[in-house]
Amino acid sequence: MSDLSLPHMSKPSWIKAEISAFWAMVRKELIIMARYPVNFIASFAQVFLIVAIFTLGGSMFYKDYSSQAGSAGNSGIAVYGFILFMFMGDTLWTIGYNIRNEQVQGTLEQLYLSPASKFANLVSRVTNTLIWTGLLSITGGVLMTLMIGDLPFKNPLLGLYLLVMVLSGTFGIGFAFAALTLVIKEAAQTLANFLQFAFLVLCANFFPFSSLPPFVLFFSRLLPPAYGVDAFRSALMGFPDGMPELAPFPVEFTIVTVFGILMPIVGYLFYRWSEKLARKRGSLSSY
Amino acid sequence: MSLRANISVMLASFRMRLTTITRYPGQIVMDILIPIVFAYMPILLGRSAGANAALNFAANTGTDNYIGYMLIGSSVFTLVNFAFWHVAYWLRWEQEAGTLEGLYLTPTHRVWVVAGTALYSCTRGLLSAIAAYLIGSFVLGLNPFQGEMLLALLFILVGLIPLYSLTLLYGAVILKVKEANALVNLMQWGVSFLMGVFFPIAIFPPLLKLIALLFPPTWMTNGVRSALLGVGYFFNAWYFDLAILWVFLLIAPFFGYWIFSRTETGIRKNEGVGQF
Repeated sequence: MSDLSLPHMSKPSWIKAEISAFWAMVRKELIIMARYPVNFIASFAQVFLIVAIFTLGGSMFYKDYSSQAGSAGNSGIAVYGFILFMFMGDTLWTIGYNIRNEQVQGTLEQLYLSPASKFANLVSRVTNTLIWTGLLSITGGVLMTLMIGDLPFKNPLLGLYLLVMVLSGTFGIGFAFAALTLVIKEAAQTLANFLQFAFLVLCANFFPFSSLPPFVLFFSRLLPPAYGVDAFRSALMGFPDGMPELAPFPVEFTIVTVFGILMPIVGYLFYRWSEKLARKRGSLSSY
Repeated sequence: MSLRANISVMLASFRMRLTTITRYPGQIVMDILIPIVFAYMPILLGRSAGANAALNFAANTGTDNYIGYMLIGSSVFTLVNFAFWHVAYWLRWEQEAGTLEGLYLTPTHRVWVVAGTALYSCTRGLLSAIAAYLIGSFVLGLNPFQGEMLLALLFILVGLIPLYSLTLLYGAVILKVKEANALVNLMQWGVSFLMGVFFPIAIFPPLLKLIALLFPPTWMTNGVRSALLGVGYFFNAWYFDLAILWVFLLIAPFFGYWIFSRTETGIRKNEGVGQF
């Protein structure tokens, strides 16, 4: 690890060291996760319950609630929105949450004294969670399909591209939120809770954007992830009538792409700035 | 220790918790905001269901006031949620705060400290749930002062004791399994599912319905909905439903405390409660 700090290190060995450090960090997170098997099982059961609660709640508005919560369109909106919500939830808050955890455990300062890559350190926090969320999403999707009927599944490659771009962009927001965690400390948890719910409404993960009152819709239009949700589910549902709802698809595609490319850079720069500030003030370990 | 001294411990525990939460005003705002947003989700889902949404809702639930129905569900959910997080998580909280060993060394029985925590949880939960219902109603254009308000409050107050007793049972599970966060998280969704947070439990298959009926929050939720919105009591009259809650009230505290004590004693004899 100490080799990383050597100025004369050649590029291939630098990359190798970076990957090795990243993998070590991922492995450490994986070992911690594996020590809590009940957590694994509970999160699967939790997905089932959340799906069931919202599906049954939504089905009350239909004549024959037992057979169908709505049309294929409605089920597609809810299922794909839910999948994206799970991924976005991980990338948005996990980084900041883990930074705070390191502070609480008293290991953050040690991490910053090591020459290991700070970027790898941040990304490693989410890697395992993303794999786990992938499994949960598949489970959630299957469960919802079983409960509310056939699911439209078109343009998988376009859907995958949009998912990657939205995740990349939300990674950026995650970095920015981690930066904020260093500044606002304890209040970060409360803010994360609030923003999670705000995003849930503004990005309309469980319902169409048309259900939102105009005042709320105005704020939705200001959020790139909302365009991501709209474009992602429109693409996977084969662009049915009235979709996408926020803007024509080429516009949404462009917004999502720009968001996916620029936001990680902006977020990471913001994080580095905030980290430097915390180190100068000596507040890295205070929380 | 005298009863007076024990009550003083209970009030001190209550005051300590209350002082801590007043240091986090943002959290108090969130307590009120989360149930409103939680209820808003199915409401928006309903609004996207078309012109007959309210009619269909009335046919399925017994009221076309779906805003009130969802808000009541999420407000009662807040109470239940707080009870589980504060009491079932209590021992873990003491462990994390590093005060558990100190507690075991004092002459006060832990039940008085938990009682103080429960009192704090009830106060915070009730204030948040009522505020969420009132503010949510105003924001979503609903008159919150309709139906039999006092009867609804009675259902909540009677239901709180068996609810908190139930959390002791769950606290015992947490003591045994250790993974408190995952279990409480799971339980909050499990409870909201069983109590019919956004739907009537009449839609459940018979066995699941029976399990739901063994759960005090189910009777609380339906009691409040029936009192305020007239969706219909399980036994057609409010006093029968309330009588069931009284039965829970008489049995649940002893049962909950017995299980918790047995588990705690077992753990203290073996690995000790300090491990988590």
